[in-house]
Amino acid sequence: MSIPTLEEKMAALKVTPASPYERKCADALTRGAYEIAVQRTADILDEGYEIFMRSSRSSMGVAGDSIVAMFNASGDLVNASAGTYLHAIIPPIVIKYIIKNYSENPGIKDGDIFYTNDALYGGIHNPDQVAITPVFFDETLVGWTAALSHTTETGAKEPGGMPVSATSRFEEGMNLPPMKIGKNFRINNDIIELFRAFGIRAEANVTVDLKARCTTADRVRVRLVEMCKREGVDFVTGLFRRMLDQAETGARKRLLGWPDGTYRCVTFSDAAGNIRGLIRNCYMTLVKKGDGMVIDFTGTSPENLSSYNAHPQAVVGHLANYIYEYVFHDLPISSASFAPIDFIFPEASCLSPTPRAATSNAVMICTGAMSSVANCLSRARYGTVEWAQATASMGNGGNATVIAGVSQWDQPFADMIAYPINTEGQGGRSCCDGMDAYGFPWCAFGRAPDVEAIENEFPMIIPFSQHWPDSGGHGKYRGGCGTAQFWAVHHVPSLYFMAIADNSTVQTPQPIFGGYAPPTVPGITLRDTKVSKLLQEIEGGVLDFEGLVSGRYGELETEPFGRTTRAIEGDETVTIGLSTGGAGFGDPLERDIASIEQDLVAGLCTQWTAEHIYKVAWNAEHERIDFEKSELMRKEARLLRVSEGIPFAEFEKKWKTRKPPEEILNIYGTWPDAKPTGPAIRP
Amino acid sequence: MKQILHIGDNLNIDLDNEQWVCGKCDHNIGPASENVKYGLLVKERDPTEIHQPLISGEYNFAPNPDWIRILEFYCPQCGLQVETEYLPPGHPITNTTEIDLLSLKSRLASGELLLEAGHLKLNEGKA
Repeated sequence: MSIPTLEEKMAALKVTPASPYERKCADALTRGAYEIAVQRTADILDEGYEIFMRSSRSSMGVAGDSIVAMFNASGDLVNASAGTYLHAIIPPIVIKYIIKNYSENPGIKDGDIFYTNDALYGGIHNPDQVAITPVFFDETLVGWTAALSHTTETGAKEPGGMPVSATSRFEEGMNLPPMKIGKNFRINNDIIELFRAFGIRAEANVTVDLKARCTTADRVRVRLVEMCKREGVDFVTGLFRRMLDQAETGARKRLLGWPDGTYRCVTFSDAAGNIRGLIRNCYMTLVKKGDGMVIDFTGTSPENLSSYNAHPQAVVGHLANYIYEYVFHDLPISSASFAPIDFIFPEASCLSPTPRAATSNAVMICTGAMSSVANCLSRARYGTVEWAQATASMGNGGNATVIAGVSQWDQPFADMIAYPINTEGQGGRSCCDGMDAYGFPWCAFGRAPDVEAIENEFPMIIPFSQHWPDSGGHGKYRGGCGTAQFWAVHHVPSLYFMAIADNSTVQTPQPIFGGYAPPTVPGITLRDTKVSKLLQEIEGGVLDFEGLVSGRYGELETEPFGRTTRAIEGDETVTIGLSTGGAGFGDPLERDIASIEQDLVAGLCTQWTAEHIYKVAWNAEHERIDFEKSELMRKEARLLRVSEGIPFAEFEKKWKTRKPPEEILNIYGTWPDAKPTGPAIRP
Repeated sequence: MKQILHIGDNLNIDLDNEQWVCGKCDHNIGPASENVKYGLLVKERDPTEIHQPLISGEYNFAPNPDWIRILEFYCPQCGLQVETEYLPPGHPITNTTEIDLLSLKSRLASGELLLEAGHLKLNEGKA
């Protein structure tokens, strides 16, 4: 076997040095022609992205959770259109693997289509799949194209492609190493049959998404061939090289403007799949020096016997989410922009597991890395003129729910509900609140479907869909609120349900500069309640979140949000979909009182929080805050802090003697440094 | 005029004296070469005091106090909440920010970095 090693993967992320020919071509580009051509690459990719969304079938593809990219002949990513930045950096690992291992056999020819979804070879997790095509002009390889997206079915032991009960990769369904799936611009029929077989639960999603990837990659290939015909191969070769040069130069310049230093963040979660327990899901030490930085994950908990592990390049992909949204937002999407960044991954950790590990929920264990990088980089940048782009972490809940069965249209389905993941709250910003229901931290440009679209597509009715009050972390600038939706089975006798999440006991994001994290997220259902009867009986026929948690609609059953597959009968509650809010920024007592009043009136903040956290006097009858009284309350609260606070050294002395209950340290590793306690054994 | 670097919301470094300084009351918190938390007051909070349990039972929208605690760090003079950290009981407290002061002062002296309104700006001509 030739599974790439960690060192090979990290090396593949670095840009291949320019050949003398490439350098000559790049130097020959004239001012103006270069800028126009860069825009042309963006236009080609945007066309591809549009085609991709319109031709995909599964919810994630339709929502735009995808990326379309072009590469130079060596496999370095030159530009992309997204969608999601998860794949903005790492596809070169796969293309360089193909070049190294398949040039002789099976060969790389014009019209070939390559494909993979196996994270062991360079992806995120197996629902994320990529079609890759080489671009030839006059029998010369001039580049590559790729289309990547998430399909919510892989034929795993549970529907939806992200089985929370998987303990090894052998339970995760289809895992294809890089392979040639087509030639002469056509997908092989035996491959389509393979996808049908793995995709029995949702055949249309699986085979249509396969074709959408290939169609998209080919459209970008066609446009690049047209560009070669019009401008010449030398021009395109030079263009790609200069784009790589400029992406790296831009990234290094950005880093050079920050103070050198060491920035740290440690985050936790409460489960690995079905295993409850405390995990240090990220211990990040970010050392920034000159125009580069090293991100070290030493101290992160060991790998575990669940699907909540991530191969190292998947972690890098998750960092790209935040970095491209907030730090490199004005740079071309290119693997070259990560050239100044090096990584250290501890062996046999949950962020660098051994090959047999299940990783289909890599997106869950990576929430720590996503939150930590926001925290560390905001600290590194706050002292600079980029301070206004410093933020608290997004909620990074990723509370994804899967439903499966036979729909009201008599079609088999297994899909993820795109609404909650695409309506998370943004982290509080350095000059304003995080945006409410801003989007999906994994896919900045993903779109939440309308309630009517969900009800039309799936056998469900949604009695309420609203902002979730207090779901953003409190702060001078609070985290944006997430959302709440009530889902009930409709039209069909039953369906299957499962949910991917943690954060029901401990929330992962650390807040920043004195703010608070968002609340935890329970799994909630209404016990023994027929929803159609409830809607008939409730006054006005209108339900909301407040009425639900106050118990007005019946007895609530609560459990962790992440749940393995179960059947839900018709007219019963599937669950309450909860989309996490962002973390808070700054001291809540510094929050503008008028903003609290607006939040109270809008139902985004509760009276309890206004009084207990923000220390304001709220008159519920008149819906007004007494500003004068509130200022006095805040003054008293600050004085109380000074009188009750303990000097650090004195506090730490006692604090160090404590330890969490032994029974919750089952997957943490050694206490407190989270080293492996033994090998992870998977038959 | 003092060289003040804003390093967090209401947290500064006095570069001349190499001290952490409260951005609200100018209290001198301690040496900027050390963890800023050493100079702050600490209060441990049960997370249910901050995140209201909305329903009964183990999973109620508030973190479980046996698993996680909230540490609040205050300015000893004015009570500003400078930092918070969510940690399991007894877990080492994080030193989140260590600025390389030697490098910073050297780069400011050479003109590679400029200090404008408390924030650093790269002087591209000198970088």
